[in-house]
Amino acid sequence: MPVTLHRLVDDAAMRRPDAEAARCDGASLSWSDLARRRNGLARLLVDLGVGRGDRVAVLLGKSLEVPTAFYGVLAAGGALVPIDPKSPVEQIARILRATGATRLVTEPGRRNAVGGLLDAELEISHVVGLEPDDARSMNVAPWSAVDQLASDRPPSVDVDGLDTSYILHTSGSTGEPKLIRHTHASALAFVEWAVEEYGLRADDRLSNHSSHHTCFATFDFYAAARAAATTVILTPAAMLMPASLAQLVERERITVWYSVPTALVQLLLRGDLADRDLSALRWVLFAGETFPDKHLKRLLDLLPGVRFSHVYGSTEVNVCTCYHLPGSGEVPSPLPIGRPCSNAEALVVDEALEPVAGGGTGELLIRGSTVMSGYWGDPALNRQALVRRPASGGLEETYFRTGDRVRTLDDGNLTFAGRADHQVKVRGYRVELEEIEGALLAIEPVHESAALAVPDGDGSSTIRAAVVVDPAAGVTHKSLLKRLQKTLPLYALPSEIGIVDSLPRTPTGKVDRKALAAMLPGHGDRS
Amino acid sequence: MSTTNPASPETIRRRILAFISDELVAEDVEIGPEDDLLSGELLDSVAVLRLATFVDETFAIGMKPTDFLVENFQNVRVLTRYVVRATEGRSPAG
Repeated sequence: MPVTLHRLVDDAAMRRPDAEAARCDGASLSWSDLARRRNGLARLLVDLGVGRGDRVAVLLGKSLEVPTAFYGVLAAGGALVPIDPKSPVEQIARILRATGATRLVTEPGRRNAVGGLLDAELEISHVVGLEPDDARSMNVAPWSAVDQLASDRPPSVDVDGLDTSYILHTSGSTGEPKLIRHTHASALAFVEWAVEEYGLRADDRLSNHSSHHTCFATFDFYAAARAAATTVILTPAAMLMPASLAQLVERERITVWYSVPTALVQLLLRGDLADRDLSALRWVLFAGETFPDKHLKRLLDLLPGVRFSHVYGSTEVNVCTCYHLPGSGEVPSPLPIGRPCSNAEALVVDEALEPVAGGGTGELLIRGSTVMSGYWGDPALNRQALVRRPASGGLEETYFRTGDRVRTLDDGNLTFAGRADHQVKVRGYRVELEEIEGALLAIEPVHESAALAVPDGDGSSTIRAAVVVDPAAGVTHKSLLKRLQKTLPLYALPSEIGIVDSLPRTPTGKVDRKALAAMLPGHGDRS
Repeated sequence: MSTTNPASPETIRRRILAFISDELVAEDVEIGPEDDLLSGELLDSVAVLRLATFVDETFAIGMKPTDFLVENFQNVRVLTRYVVRATEGRSPAG
């Protein structure tokens, strides 16, 4: 077992040099080619001055460059910072600034975004992936430079399991993203568990649905690499068109699928599944949101040979519990999040962080080898989230406070019972309502703002917001939304922004979210 | 469902473009008939669904689940072609 993520590629290339490591849009990359290109990028980055632990951001859409970029950064000794390409430039700049990233790996189609980043006075000194005339005075190297340096030998770089492997980002309540730091060891602990739990093998073909900056992608790429399997990178076009996606899953003979329930619901409703031959599929993993019973039952009926696994976790701990649905096609209600993974300990605690007596509801604490090493550059947040308390053996250990409330069922399975804060999920993405409220407040004529999540009936939520504005400013729902599109990712945009005279308040002065929900009838109800 | 005379391709194209730029994208984003609507960075799944609903209702297509194909939605040009095909030869009674 390698101690660093990028070494997974060497093992896979040794076992299956000519087998496909990744496929995207009909093109593919073999394990030996991936190893050579990884070495090329790593050599280039080292030549550009990247040293152990230096943050290197990767801003790429869905393409075969993604695995090369990931492993190349790691093999150079860098700490990988994958960026959500759907983020507005302002948000990308915040992430680059907060991580202190000094190098950026991108692709020619993103020269406008990179140009915008240059205006943001960041510390980026070199960009890989643009043509030299693409970005003004910046030091740039094109992808062809990577191919020129491709070789069988990686640069000689000292990296061990406790080095940072990647820093992932999610929504933060202050508007600043939460930066989640994992080591090679914590990433590999997840990889080992996943390969074992799902029996991943060399002939598996894993579909990659999620953005590269999510922990879903760590399964799609690194667990696949450990098994020397193939990752089929799905293009956004396929993911937005369920009938095309279903054809692709059939044509690519996908064997393992891991996504948010929304993607599966779309496939079910618009994918024409009854006419597709999905006999290659053996595992469907889903996480991130509630899967509506009625849809899950239908999916189980349509795919009788497939095993379904409800996995639970967060970017901070990756997967920490899982529940495999019974083969009978039954769907327990509510669907449990299951039992702790073999590498995790789960503890249900009260507000004093003391264990809750049998069957009570409390906050879930997680300890184990997949837990992050901390939030990057945020000691205060680390003190809140990573707490020391005695473990079962009596020794003090570090636990991650998930912020999720859970209950232990009679059979030992855990079930999700809501959030302890205002974090919500929109199509699997974590969204802090405070971030949306802050983004609205940043718009000049907005005096007050409030946001809330409303279930959409398909297991996800939509966000609605209300604002109190300067009446002289002449703002509309549409003008506010268009301003927000510059600062928030698409999934975090409210579907409704009501302009109200005042926000409803509880007697203690807090925003009364229930009363607010009643004031915002939703997009479909507007004339 | 009642239908009027089928709209001309030019009218269909203009109305779809206007809907996207008025309802779905940021203020400073210009959309042309060849621009990729499915890059994942312009429209998300909700916006795509709103676009499909708009097209379905405006041109009375009776869209089927199997019509949610890349080749029908990739850009405004092919979407227009899809609408034209779907409404072709329709009798005035709809």
